[in-house]
Amino acid sequence: MRFLKTVIILSACITGFLINYASAEDNLVALSKQIMDSKCGLSVYPALEKTADKYFEDHKYNEYSDFINSLLKQIEACPVLNYNAALARFNQLKYLEESQGWDEYFAKGNDYRDQIVDNLSKAVGAVPVQDALGVRSRLLLWQFHRDQQDAFHEEALDGLIKGITEYAHSGQDADLIKEVADTISSYGEKGRSKEVYRLYVQKLTGGEVKLEDLKQVALSFYNEGNLDLAESLFDAYIEKSLDSSPKEKTIPELLEIATLFSYKDSGQKDPVYAEKIFAKAESTGGKEALGEEQIYLRAFNLEKSKDWRGAGDAYASLVERFSESKYVNRAIFKLGIIHTYILRDKERGTEYFVKLTEKNGAGPEGVSSLYQLGLLNQWQGESAKAKAYYNKLIEKAQDSFNETKSLTNLRLKEIEEGRSLDSNLAAFMDNALKEENAQFDMSRVSISASPYTANRDSEILVNSSALSGASGCMQVELQYLWSGDLGANLVQSAQANFNTSYRDPGTKVINLLVLVPSGTLDRALDFADIE
Amino acid sequence: MRSSTNNIDKTKAAGRKFVLLAACGFFVFVLLSGMSSAPARKVSIRKLEGSRYQLIVSGKPYIIKGVCYSPIPAGQSHEYDWWSDKSKPWITDGKLMQEMGINTIRLYQTHDDLNEVRAVIRDLYDNYGIRSVVGDWLGFWEYPCPFYGDKKFQERIKNNVLEMVRALKDEPGVLFWVLGNENNYSCLGHVNPWSSDEIDREPDAQKQKTMRAKIYYSFVNNLAREIKKIDPEHPVALGNGELVGLEFAKESCPDIDIVACIIYRGKTFGNLFKSLKMTFDRPVFFAEFGADAYDVFANKEDQNMQAFFLESQWRQIYENLYNNKVGEGNCIGGTVFEWTDEWWKHNPSDPEAWKIHDTEGGWTNGSYYNDIRVTGGKNMNEEWFGIVAISEQAENGINKRTPRKAYYVIREFWKNPDLSAKKKGNKK
Repeated sequence: MRFLKTVIILSACITGFLINYASAEDNLVALSKQIMDSKCGLSVYPALEKTADKYFEDHKYNEYSDFINSLLKQIEACPVLNYNAALARFNQLKYLEESQGWDEYFAKGNDYRDQIVDNLSKAVGAVPVQDALGVRSRLLLWQFHRDQQDAFHEEALDGLIKGITEYAHSGQDADLIKEVADTISSYGEKGRSKEVYRLYVQKLTGGEVKLEDLKQVALSFYNEGNLDLAESLFDAYIEKSLDSSPKEKTIPELLEIATLFSYKDSGQKDPVYAEKIFAKAESTGGKEALGEEQIYLRAFNLEKSKDWRGAGDAYASLVERFSESKYVNRAIFKLGIIHTYILRDKERGTEYFVKLTEKNGAGPEGVSSLYQLGLLNQWQGESAKAKAYYNKLIEKAQDSFNETKSLTNLRLKEIEEGRSLDSNLAAFMDNALKEENAQFDMSRVSISASPYTANRDSEILVNSSALSGASGCMQVELQYLWSGDLGANLVQSAQANFNTSYRDPGTKVINLLVLVPSGTLDRALDFADIE
Repeated sequence: MRSSTNNIDKTKAAGRKFVLLAACGFFVFVLLSGMSSAPARKVSIRKLEGSRYQLIVSGKPYIIKGVCYSPIPAGQSHEYDWWSDKSKPWITDGKLMQEMGINTIRLYQTHDDLNEVRAVIRDLYDNYGIRSVVGDWLGFWEYPCPFYGDKKFQERIKNNVLEMVRALKDEPGVLFWVLGNENNYSCLGHVNPWSSDEIDREPDAQKQKTMRAKIYYSFVNNLAREIKKIDPEHPVALGNGELVGLEFAKESCPDIDIVACIIYRGKTFGNLFKSLKMTFDRPVFFAEFGADAYDVFANKEDQNMQAFFLESQWRQIYENLYNNKVGEGNCIGGTVFEWTDEWWKHNPSDPEAWKIHDTEGGWTNGSYYNDIRVTGGKNMNEEWFGIVAISEQAENGINKRTPRKAYYVIREFWKNPDLSAKKKGNKK
């Protein structure tokens, strides 16, 4: 009898409320009937949610709260109403923040917060842990504490994870699990969201995760851009693959995953994760596990991660194992540059340049190597030797490689007129090659190009960043000395970035030295590959 | 017996008169001695056990709850003379400040007409009880760069500072003096670089930095000593960016009473309180700290993050006041940067840009992690640090003031500075 009375009162309240509010909105009449036919249980939830949406849309939070609270006076233990009461205040606080309604926010905000905690605690306490409404209540409670950045949010998150775990194990639908995981992830709680995503994956794969399913789910998250989750799932996939499949079958899988995450100018990438998988493939199958394409990709990926030593090793491995590779000229040239200007080993770098100049069919990199050899000699004051290399370059280039020839002509003119090497270039080389500058390790200045791999005449944005040390709120005045292959931007930019393009194919070397008022900050170097 | 009794009575009466007279005399003596010798300076620093410090004002501990004040209107730049603004922006601002609970403002630099400066300080103190921390740039923004190694330059700056002190020292609204701001960074040679013949002769760049620091901090200490000869009733603070160079201040600045720290470390000051004790044991006043209210990554105003950072910073300040046993006890308060937005700051050389509230980041600080992902990393919006926004709409003859969320959050925190962990953030 008592329950019936409660339901009648509830229905009457809802009817009255909806009739009042629906008078302006015809569709609320239908909704009214739906709610009237419902009882205080989960079945009420969808109708209330729709009603709430309407009220929230019009920012009538107080009206909606008054209605819910009037019902709660009759039937305090109704979890759906408690959840909705909290939801109203939660949204109200958000709205007050957005609309900067600070007077109400600060005058009544603490009351609203107390109501949220009180209502949600009642909702959570009234339903089993695995109940969907319980999960939603816990989710809202955690969001509330997380938004507040208060001391309760960790406790609330633990409660939420416990709830969703129970919910998942009780065999209910997967959508709510993903919703919870997505919400946790959206707050930047990557570690905890992974726990819930795993539940989701288990749910999708029926508890027993099949290898192929795991891979497909990982790929779907990769395509969505959720790389954290994708990597976590790929890790699980790799672990299971290594346990259950022969390595002949697993290694191609590893290389496929590494390729997926390797550096590329556009699209999803995580070069650090890619290198981790390349290394795993190598440790599983030995050096032979990686073919020509994979070694090049690994070297390129390391280069773009600024792991110059690792890139050098990978390029050297490519040269050693695949001497006829289409990438070999580029690899040798980059080895020359990396050793000379980054690892400060001019002798070894010179060996690579010489190797290319002696090689038939060395292409643009062969011409660039002649330029580098001329440059190193010019910098050392060996003008005659420099001139010989430059002249050889002009002869070899014939009607091609105009950009490199232009630079060469500038250098020859300097020699002929008895002038010093271009000041930007000389300053960069001094920093990279002189022993007294060994403390500059390229950690304070970096260059990036977008894209790194481009077609001829297409635009490239070259950017730089510099860490200049303590200066408070004041900007340190930085001087940017660009040199090397600056392409169409022959007028040397003094800015932190510039746009350029290249007419000739080949590997382009971009140098930068950054000065601060007290002296040199650091240098940087990067490659752009023109196809 | 009677006679004896009478004698006794007379003796008693005489005794009572004597006691009364002596008491009156003692009272008058105490009163006069108090008036003539002023035993307590108006503002002073009291050192407690364990290098804990109190700022004492009129005999009572004083916690600085303040803002940096530079009410430049939209469309004007730092050259604007707001001191002589007929609309008196400080009157409107002072009322809003009082309602928030502010008791102190920081003035970076005074004005040529010290009478106008005195009027502003007096208005704020008389009307709202707000005191002023009064500073001087020490020629830091002069062109060409400041020459702290040059005696003529030093003399000129000293004369300016002492003139300011003479003119304002008797104003009851003056709290203390601050010398410099982030001038110490110039010793590293990165900003406003300066040198001397002696420094130029030194080939080692590291030694050059040391030489500059010693010259600069010795100069500041000389200034402090000279100020105290004129005005022994107000402490002198050293304006310093972060704790950079304070190891030299320890040697060169015995006359400095307070470190006025300019610091932007995001939501925490980290180990600053302990570090300061170890490098230069003085009370710390946060002369500048805060957060901007613009998310340059999301490209929209973000009052929530500003309020969050500021509440967290104030919480740390309170945790390290003299009366909190848990903290280091060496903090005396702070002045948030800043009261109102300044629209000229992003592009100071372009008058057209002063009319626009610029949203482009100006400098980089990874401690403000919410928008550091922006391309190029310049996440700090210099024109959005106000806890009160301004608009071009006029009200009371000045740009209309609209308090941001941080204004209310700090107000609530000051009303009830509950530092217990479980309450953290609950009263946001």
